[in-house]
Amino acid sequence: MPHIGDKQPVSQPVSEPVPRPVSLGTVTLTVNGEVHELIVEPQWTLQYVLHDKLGLIGTKEFCGEGACGACTVILEGRPVLSCLMLAIECDGKNIETIEGIARANHPLIEAYIKHSCMQCGFCTPGFVVTAKALLDRNPDPSIEEIKEAMVGNLCRCGTYPAHIRAIEEAAAILRGVLVAQGGEGRD
Amino acid sequence: MTDEKQRSDERLWAEEKQRMLESFDNKVADRYPLKEFHNIGRRGVRRTDGYEKATGAARYTLDVQLPGMLYGRFLTSPYPHARIVSLDTSAAEALPGVRTIIRWDDPEMDVEVPLAGHELNSIRPLSNIAHWQGEEVGAFVCADSEEIAEQALKLLKVEWEQRPFVLDVEKALEPGAPLSNPEYNPDGNLAPNDIYVEGHGDPEKGFAEADKILEFKFTFGQNTWVGPERPCGVWRWNGEYAEVWVKQQRPHIAKRAISQWFGGIPMNKIDLHCLYQGASFGGWSQMGWNLGGMYCAAVAAKRTGRPVKWLFSRREDFYGGEMDAGVFYLKVGCKLDGTITAVEERGVVVNQAMPVFGIAKHFIDNTRVPHVRGRTEAVWVNRGPNVPTRCEQNLNCYSLCWVTNRVADALGLDPIEVALKNDGAEGHDIEWLNARKAELGFPVRDSLRECIAAGKAAIGWDQKWHPPGTKRLPNGRMHGMAFTWTHEWDDSAGSSEVGIYIERNDGTCTILGCRADGGQNAETTYCQIAADELGYPVEMVRFKHMDDAGFFTMTPDTSTNLSVNGWAVRHAARLLKQRILEAAVAPRGVTQLTSFPPAFPGKRPEELDIKDAVIFEKANPENRMSVADFVGPSGAQGPIVSPIGEPILAGREGLGYPMRLTPPTFDFAWHVQRGTYLGLRLRFCRQAHFMEVEVDPETGEVEVTRVVTVNDVGKVINWEGCEGQAYGGAYMGVGRGRTEEVVWDPRTGIMLNGNLLNYKIPTLMDIGEIQTVLLETGMGYGPYGAVGIGEDVATVLPALIGPAVHNALGVWIDRYPVTPDVVLAALGKA
Ligand code: FES
Ligand code: FES
Repeated sequence: MPHIGDKQPVSQPVSEPVPRPVSLGTVTLTVNGEVHELIVEPQWTLQYVLHDKLGLIGTKEFCGEGACGACTVILEGRPVLSCLMLAIECDGKNIETIEGIARANHPLIEAYIKHSCMQCGFCTPGFVVTAKALLDRNPDPSIEEIKEAMVGNLCRCGTYPAHIRAIEEAAAILRGVLVAQGGEGRD
Repeated sequence: MTDEKQRSDERLWAEEKQRMLESFDNKVADRYPLKEFHNIGRRGVRRTDGYEKATGAARYTLDVQLPGMLYGRFLTSPYPHARIVSLDTSAAEALPGVRTIIRWDDPEMDVEVPLAGHELNSIRPLSNIAHWQGEEVGAFVCADSEEIAEQALKLLKVEWEQRPFVLDVEKALEPGAPLSNPEYNPDGNLAPNDIYVEGHGDPEKGFAEADKILEFKFTFGQNTWVGPERPCGVWRWNGEYAEVWVKQQRPHIAKRAISQWFGGIPMNKIDLHCLYQGASFGGWSQMGWNLGGMYCAAVAAKRTGRPVKWLFSRREDFYGGEMDAGVFYLKVGCKLDGTITAVEERGVVVNQAMPVFGIAKHFIDNTRVPHVRGRTEAVWVNRGPNVPTRCEQNLNCYSLCWVTNRVADALGLDPIEVALKNDGAEGHDIEWLNARKAELGFPVRDSLRECIAAGKAAIGWDQKWHPPGTKRLPNGRMHGMAFTWTHEWDDSAGSSEVGIYIERNDGTCTILGCRADGGQNAETTYCQIAADELGYPVEMVRFKHMDDAGFFTMTPDTSTNLSVNGWAVRHAARLLKQRILEAAVAPRGVTQLTSFPPAFPGKRPEELDIKDAVIFEKANPENRMSVADFVGPSGAQGPIVSPIGEPILAGREGLGYPMRLTPPTFDFAWHVQRGTYLGLRLRFCRQAHFMEVEVDPETGEVEVTRVVTVNDVGKVINWEGCEGQAYGGAYMGVGRGRTEEVVWDPRTGIMLNGNLLNYKIPTLMDIGEIQTVLLETGMGYGPYGAVGIGEDVATVLPALIGPAVHNALGVWIDRYPVTPDVVLAALGKA
């Protein structure tokens, strides 16, 4: 389980053990086209299940409370913050993670590498997923539209300007107005 | 051996030795740069970590999961200053899934051990006294999941003895103030060895010579690193071997400390992994705090026989901070033409766990000001520890920014003029500094002037700069512009060891050296250096940096990646190339089955070269063999051997060649940097930054519309890496100056905003536009004349918001971050 966060310092200790949650639920998640049947505890987040239970470590937790976008996945075609979703709510849903986007060889991946959109890289998958969702619904976004779509993704390393260039380039490749270079671009 | 061969060997060895000795002296210019660059300085070199990071495959310590792994969390103090009187863990222990609870009073914990930091100072890994709210104290709970560990923490029955606390540094200096840490500082909140004084000349004399004397004060609120990966680590005992995963910028320092634990663990029995780092910008890694978790995990792993991962919560990551918080008093004397005659500064700073750098040092390093005195008082209050976080020089940068701009304002001058007038070093002017550049073999260029020219053109300074408070925009906001400057740095007294290896079968090249990746793309940079030095395409070179293979390279520390590791890689690559060429002219292989004739019979090594991983004869390039073919025979049958060294009869044929049974495909080198901390190096490269803001005088809101960063990095090796540090630093700098502040409730001492909703780091929208300009004067001490850039912009930029707002409104703000309420207060509206 991702940390719940000690929002209130513990000053009044509870004296009796808290009973462990027992009502487990079975969910079926289709993740990157693969069907997973899982038994989940009701309080488990989607981020936790993807990352810890399915080993899809690209779905990162940075803030754990909906402030940063690092945990973004595409749920039924819409970008959602998987740290704010309970896995149990996602029964029967289609989920696309960074791993699926990478496997599909989405042009965003090479564009991200070429434009050096990553520094420490911890936030990067969340950006790629958010950008993918943007390009799915808007194949030719303006710079303002890109900024608007990406503003919820936080990058402590400050890689922001590079993302705009990469997203514009990937969009152009997808629209067929630019040929993917693949590998190394040389100026 | 022929006489000629012997003479050639001796000559080569003598030259090599000379080169190494000269390279080792890092207080002069690079005397042996390459004549041609192919990968160095080329745009578009593909990042070696790019695919992993873009696809989510990159693994961080937080991602490590091992079979049977337990999760460990600490009890943290609810009070800013308290002692645990008693602790009842029985309810927590009864919770299903809890596997062990380590208490401060357990016999195994009755020890003092070194917990990282540069020195091996020993402390108790778990205490029963907390000196700030949120300090981990008393108990470490290990359970099957983090969630269970967290529930168990709530079941701990703790009896606390609350102690008086103090949060404000100046209040902490008042007589009768509560003692923040009587264990460390029984006599007051400022220990004598927490006062740092520096300077030269006699400020009184400088003030007497001045036409004008200014006195002012500013305060800087507390900001922190907010590493996206929570602090964590993993410990597993593999029998007598310790396997550890550290989220650490300094894996070698961590290993050294760990080797002291449990009566001593031999260094070669510690297997250390340092995976990708979800960034901490120095801060977190400096702390003994950090390895406390590791120690508890090790004890718990021993007790339970299971691997243990310890973690902090997101909030717990907020308790440590950057060491720029404090109150600063300045007195400056100047002539009417902008010449500064004296600077005197006193800084009262908050919980500087490492007061390594005085606050007025940039006036010494970087100006002709003849009389300087700085006094830093590191006062301890009941807040978390503050450590260099991109970086310890920020107070210097803030001071230089304020002095330059306040002097300009007081005299009615352009701040750029004031900077140029005072540029220099050690109290001497720029002419003196130019003479030193020439002496040390550097090009003699006026770095500040070049930076300023580039920056002024980029931002349109001459067209747009105006007297303070005079430009209202059509949208009703006030327009402001500001400029600041200082030198570039790469200071650490760091050291680096690097191994370099040509792989069997395909001749690809691997650089070996354990270090942390902080995201600067340094690994690609090292590959570029090795590629150009060896004559390889960069795609054939990889730096393996995540596992401890016996070589420790410099950490991403104090902007010193390149100036230390770059040299070490270069030395190693040059030595290896020499080795390959020497081997190429000798019988190159003695394997179990056969030997191989020389690849280039009858040639001397100096007649050969390598390009695109192909060895060729310079006079006859058709005579060539790829390195892959050269090492090819070694693939199945053992390493090829080098003819360098002592004569040994080797192989079944008993060849009489002098052989050393070392493959010519491996070498190693090192580099030691004696840092500027010791005052050994003058700084020649400069940086200058420009900012444009719009300030709403009604709401106090400050919008940063444009930033131009200009960094003279000496030589650009990796463009995208350098530019990334500049614009990335700009975001961080603007965040620190404008929105970021950790806040405590003065009544309870509890941190109020330890989360990303209420602590505001910059988003994509927080700077209108950034332009990054890089200059290459070749005046850095690094290889090829390079100097560091990693910390620069993030460190220099925060204070610039103050002068920019002054230029907009005509009033000086004196408090950072410059939030709307600070602006309104300066306008007398709040
Ligand atoms: S981790 Fe989900 S939004 Fe930050
Ligand atoms: S690359 Fe480090 S947080 Fe974005």
